[in-house]
Amino acid sequence: MPTLVSVFDLPDDTALAIRKLKGRGFDDLESYSPAPFEQIDDAIDERPSKVRAFTLVGGLTGVFTGFLMQIWMSWEWPIKIAGKNFASIPPYVIIGFELTILFGGILTLIGFLLVGRLYPRPLDKAYSSRFSAEEFGIAVTVGDRDVAEVDALLRSLSAKEVTLLDD
Amino acid sequence: MTPPPATAAVDMMRPTTVPQDSQINRDVMSVTKGVSWQWGLLLSMALIGVAQAIFTLAYQTYVGLGIAGYQSPVFWGVYIINFVFWIGIGHAGTLISAILFLFRAKWRNAINRGAEAMTVFAVLTAALFPLIHIGRLWKFYFLIPYPNQRALWVNFKSPLLWDVFAINTYMLISIIFFFVGLVPDIAIARDRATGIKKVAYTLLALGWQGTGRQWKAHNRTVLHLAGLATPLVLSVHSVVSWDFAMSIVPGWHATIFAPYFVAGAIFGGFAMVLVVMIPVRRIFRLEAYITDYHFDNMSRFILFTSLICGYAYGAEYFIAWYSGVEFEQTSFWLRLFGPYWLSTWFMISFNVLFPQLLWIKKLRTNVPFLFVLCVFINIGMWFERYVIIITSLSREYIPAAWGLYIPSLAEMSILLGSFCWFSMFFLLFLKFLPIIAIAEMKELIIHDKAHAAQESH
Repeated sequence: MPTLVSVFDLPDDTALAIRKLKGRGFDDLESYSPAPFEQIDDAIDERPSKVRAFTLVGGLTGVFTGFLMQIWMSWEWPIKIAGKNFASIPPYVIIGFELTILFGGILTLIGFLLVGRLYPRPLDKAYSSRFSAEEFGIAVTVGDRDVAEVDALLRSLSAKEVTLLDD
Repeated sequence: MTPPPATAAVDMMRPTTVPQDSQINRDVMSVTKGVSWQWGLLLSMALIGVAQAIFTLAYQTYVGLGIAGYQSPVFWGVYIINFVFWIGIGHAGTLISAILFLFRAKWRNAINRGAEAMTVFAVLTAALFPLIHIGRLWKFYFLIPYPNQRALWVNFKSPLLWDVFAINTYMLISIIFFFVGLVPDIAIARDRATGIKKVAYTLLALGWQGTGRQWKAHNRTVLHLAGLATPLVLSVHSVVSWDFAMSIVPGWHATIFAPYFVAGAIFGGFAMVLVVMIPVRRIFRLEAYITDYHFDNMSRFILFTSLICGYAYGAEYFIAWYSGVEFEQTSFWLRLFGPYWLSTWFMISFNVLFPQLLWIKKLRTNVPFLFVLCVFINIGMWFERYVIIITSLSREYIPAAWGLYIPSLAEMSILLGSFCWFSMFFLLFLKFLPIIAIAEMKELIIHDKAHAAQESH
């Protein structure tokens, strides 16, 4: 299946092109952007990123770990300190809070790596260093018969260049 | 039909050239290129400073804490002061990267990378001091709750233990935040590097290509980390302040300590950001990115936090007087006029009086002035901790148990080493990673470009 790589100058044009392509049923596409632009990311996928679930799970795990660890350890070898209860909740809030943040942060990082598919790997053929300069790219994989149509469509949507990658 | 002008014809014949790399990529990445002798000299000095401190530490470990200036009744000295000082320095980075992010203050973009790096290095410096202070370095793991042959658990009601959790969490979260922000910029470096550097950047960039899905995950991650780091940073210095405030030592036992420490930390941290970024901007010609606008904003922050510090100093004295508690009153009287009067007056003048000059607009953008002022603020903030810790401990309840503390040579050697340790990390960082968050700056640059294109239509 051939892949068409088009280059754009402005984020709004890129987002528009993605929406038009999707509207015509060309769903197998990827955008490359040098900086975060919500319009492009939303055009690719409207749904909020799944990273948020990771943070929630991490935070909840942290808060339960923090409190349960302290309460259990206080009971396991009870020593009276300053006449307070063995498991006294107010001072435990601090470590409970810190572990909430710690586990939440670590799980958020893991979520970022998994959701963004970030691990050392070969880069896409369509990717080039232009897209880490100041240009935007869309790589769309289409059927052989549609190449001419998509090429014309992209050029009409202010693409600076359209190149064909064959594989 | 008239023929096209000659230049246009030439243009048509010329093959399409590969577009030049963007200006900001070249400007920022040029910082990492090449090594000047000045950089080499600074790094060597830093390494020598670290080496002498390691030597002192080894000697102290061998002969014991006696070589520190501790003497009854003062057993918290320069090591603890340094710990509080360096933890405080870190706070500005998290404030800039997390809190200003949540407030959508776009001016942070130019300075946030430098400030975040500073946070990580400052926390790495601070985290050493509790270990240096305990003397028996090899026993530090007693602080970690794990099943052990002593059949005991740690005391979760102790603020010192809260600190262990707070500092380690802060260190890890700062590093994660720093790394997540770096990934897109490492990819920029990867696309332009060759040889061994390319391999290293490729591994670190984790296959980043700036796809829609990756940016979406990145934005969400930064948002959540900012949301987590904001209460964290406020909690960390609060917990540090409770190391003091939970005791009943006169001058320490105050409810104002947590906000007072947090404001002081942000104040000192901002000053350190300026002390570090002003030379970097000058040497590497980054004037186009770090502008008067940024200096003006940072100066306002410094002025504001200085006022909070001033208020806290005042409130402490007021409460000491109003409480009617003799011990508090004596403690605060001795701060101003006792044996440590000089440090107290340093603290008040450097942290509260001098920064008032920032009310003058011209001085807020006067870079050499800001540099000098911020050096003074850092000295003042170090003395603030000196005053809090030493004056209170040396003058507790019973006059018969009063004493004097004078920092020893060993402590000064390790203090110097801590600055060198911090500088060593920063100098290495300059040569390996981009000092300005390129992708975030590009967001603004491209936004302006799009705006200009729209207007020309």
